Amino acid sequence: MIVNNLKLLVGGVQLRDGVVTMTDVLGRIMTRAGLYVLAMERGYASTIYGAHQFDPMRITETPPLSWGDREVDVLIALDYDSNPDAAPQPNRDTVLRHGRELRDGGVLIYDSSTGEIDAGELERRGIKVFPVPARTVARDELKRDVVKNIVMVGALFRVLDFDPAGTYFRTLIEERFLRKGQQTVDINIRAAQRGRELVESILQAKGWTDVGYRLEPRPLREPLLLISGNEALSIGAIKAGCRFYAGYPITPASAILEFMEEHLPKYGGRALQGQNERESIRAAIGAALAGVRSMVGTSGPGLSLKSEEFGVSGMTETPVVIVDTQRAGPSTGMPTKSEQGDLYLSVFGGHSEVPRIVLAPATQEECYTLMMEAHELADKYQCPVFFLTDLNLSEGRKAVPESFFLSQKARIDRSTLVTEEDLRRDGAYRRFAVTPSGISPRLLPGTPGAVFKASGSEHDERGFVSTDPLVRKAQVDKRLRKLQTYLKEDGRPPQVFGKVEGRPVLIGWGSTRPVILEAQQRLQARGIEAAVVHFTHLWPFPTEAAKPLLEQANTVICIEQNFTGQFAEVVQAHCLVPVRRILKYNGVPLYPSEIAEGVEAILRQGVSTVRITDGPVPVKVSEGD
Amino acid sequence: MAETKAQKISAKVWEENAVPRHRIQWCPGCGDFGVLAALKMALTKLEITPYELLIVTGIGCSGQIRNYLNGNGFHGTHGGPLAYALGAKMVNPELKVISMGGDGDTFAIGVENFVHVCRRDPEIMHVVMDNGVYGLTKGQHSPTHGRGMGLEVFSEEAPPPFSPLRLALTAGATFVAQSFSGDPKHAAEIYVQALQHKGFAMVNDFSPCVTYNKFNTYDWYREHVEEIPADHDPSDLNAAWDLLNDFDRRGRLPLGIIYRNPRNKKAFRRAPIWPQELADADVRPLLRLFA
Ligand SMILES: Cc1ncc(C[n+]2csc(CCOP(=O)(O)OP(=O)(O)O)c2C)c(N)n1
Ligand code: SF4
Repeated sequence: MIVNNLKLLVGGVQLRDGVVTMTDVLGRIMTRAGLYVLAMERGYASTIYGAHQFDPMRITETPPLSWGDREVDVLIALDYDSNPDAAPQPNRDTVLRHGRELRDGGVLIYDSSTGEIDAGELERRGIKVFPVPARTVARDELKRDVVKNIVMVGALFRVLDFDPAGTYFRTLIEERFLRKGQQTVDINIRAAQRGRELVESILQAKGWTDVGYRLEPRPLREPLLLISGNEALSIGAIKAGCRFYAGYPITPASAILEFMEEHLPKYGGRALQGQNERESIRAAIGAALAGVRSMVGTSGPGLSLKSEEFGVSGMTETPVVIVDTQRAGPSTGMPTKSEQGDLYLSVFGGHSEVPRIVLAPATQEECYTLMMEAHELADKYQCPVFFLTDLNLSEGRKAVPESFFLSQKARIDRSTLVTEEDLRRDGAYRRFAVTPSGISPRLLPGTPGAVFKASGSEHDERGFVSTDPLVRKAQVDKRLRKLQTYLKEDGRPPQVFGKVEGRPVLIGWGSTRPVILEAQQRLQARGIEAAVVHFTHLWPFPTEAAKPLLEQANTVICIEQNFTGQFAEVVQAHCLVPVRRILKYNGVPLYPSEIAEGVEAILRQGVSTVRITDGPVPVKVSEGD
Repeated sequence: MAETKAQKISAKVWEENAVPRHRIQWCPGCGDFGVLAALKMALTKLEITPYELLIVTGIGCSGQIRNYLNGNGFHGTHGGPLAYALGAKMVNPELKVISMGGDGDTFAIGVENFVHVCRRDPEIMHVVMDNGVYGLTKGQHSPTHGRGMGLEVFSEEAPPPFSPLRLALTAGATFVAQSFSGDPKHAAEIYVQALQHKGFAMVNDFSPCVTYNKFNTYDWYREHVEEIPADHDPSDLNAAWDLLNDFDRRGRLPLGIIYRNPRNKKAFRRAPIWPQELADADVRPLLRLFA
């Protein structure tokens, strides 16, 4: 019997079967029961209706290292109608697509409203199959089709022997639906109850006393929050004093805009849905100019459009935080799939040379803390600060103790601002004064005593346009000198996990850290001691910290979700060590076993690059995404 | 008398923190000088201080205006001034925000920002320094190129001009006016009203390019402009359209306020400004959403 450690996957038809509602209910209840939840590799499609959608969720007693491999212990199929391409299996995409991922000895619960599947093969693999006619029960008995997923919640809870008294469930349902009336609450409670009963009778008929998995509530020392990267970074921004946000809707960044529109006004701020990407970032720059910490959020295509303004921010030394929730592919690519493909655009994008800082959080926690840092750095260095997340991280949810968030304090550094007193003391104000640190005194409009002139055209110290070679050189030197100051004062070396010397070193950046760390453990179990060197502060590249470190390694392997190994190139160029690569770019998240295998292939066969492909699609399934 | 004196003192204020006269790069005789003069007159009249002013400009000869007078100035991308201005105004309504751009800047590359700022209606005055060409890039056609020419002169590559005033009205601007930099005093009066408007105020200012636009010259404008009749009711949208149609029919260009009808809308609230007013925010209520 495995207690409090399983991965489940809920699948169904997008916008019809209530996949997201179901995992949301499950996730909330589990975190309230003191269990850790990690739900990061969500599958959905750009087609709004009708495509296959799935949502895996890992539930554990102690914080999990990563989302683990593809295998799932419990599969819940909410779809009930026939897949025309799959005559022998009337039930549907979820079973077809994910049946192979189901571990031997696992559990399948599926909606049998339109007929039972041929479970022979699954049962031979020791899988316990529960046909639950959820939709029939919801539609015919309860007269409320939409609660079919709640029937499944009840069924699942019975299977896992969780919440027998229904207290967790009732509390959550009341919170959610009491405003819609007692009747809605009652129907949901009855739906869950029916689910339980249906499973109960199957258990009895089959004579199963347990199914091999159980969930038990844990004493809650403090509340756990189930939070996505987008949500964590939004709250981090508000905490850091960001009071202007602009965005143009784009998956997967829209959630930030929606969050900000709802909550920023409560903190005196404003959110703007721009009419396009350029209006958004320009308005954000305008707001920053007026003295408000400001931010934009977008994804790849929007970042391309904004790139003209990278230079404006850099050249006029106007701070702005630019969130890029990376998605897969150039052009519009795959809007609902994840990738780490925008590093080059963030680091090198825009014409000529723009001073900038590029950060990439690895976890939901870091979405919060690093976002606070992003705003601090933007203000201090008066340049664009890029914040690279990706679809997995920004939409993926994770249980994090509330105290983690409460223990962080925002830092507001006033040193770069000239005040009225400063101006009275030494009259002449120069917005772009050449300073040893490269940071010039900033003035907010409205301050009596001086004005600023800022220009995206090359300018002298006072901000007047100039092409004087000496002026030009002094200003370029000054602007780019900031980055040296940053490296000295605020740069962060990579985080090192394990001993580097003489060992293979796995390099990662951004959201893949958890999987790389899990791969490290798997390798250890197979006798390969590897170190992990992970970067959150990508640019300017911390050569001084990274080079001596990587020079001690026996093999350097960079793992990222793109075709070329964008970060690998950066590391190689700066550290002058050969960097091997493990790359995945088919839109599917990286799994620890793939990394471990890739590392073995590199170490044993000496290959320089491993490009991961997922196995072939097992069965032809209905298209739609 | 006292008034003149006060004006003289404050008029000089606009010369400080600015590029000295002899370093102004506009061609001698450029219409933009008239716009600059009118702007200074209007600012002086309204007793605006340079500190509370933010002038955001586009790219082009027109865009250089920010350096030629006192006040906070920002110069970002070609086509961008209105969006920067919008952001600044949204967070700090106490700032006096003026946006200045060329016709290329406003109606070509920046039309996306222009159309929507008309709808958004922030309290910003935008002056288009309309010369019918791209001055700074040496005379290519702009969207208002060919004003007053016969239709037969246009080709597919160089289509006929469109009407800035009609675009502004269509997009929902609540203040639409036109002026001529050859008559800065008149232009200044219009700017004064535009600056007092509680909403977005667009002034299309004919500002001849003496170097590249040999057709729409000062003389040509003087022959074609005509003051809007005193009995025109600018608060009447239909009257505004009728007026434009009437002037078009007669081959004349209206000067004055074509449309002015402020919306009754909520004032912007000022956002907390970094760093003076920023306290460590209590985000507990937000976190509770996820418990
Ligand atoms: C993105 C971009 N494209 C092109 C240019 C080149 N450019 C500079 S000024 C200008 C046209 C300016 O014309 P207008 O706005 O009418 O102003 P004017 O110079 O006539 O006052 C152009 C196209 C630029 N600076 N940026
Ligand atoms: S080129 Fe034309 S618009 Fe530019 S300064 Fe000369 S006259 Fe003025």
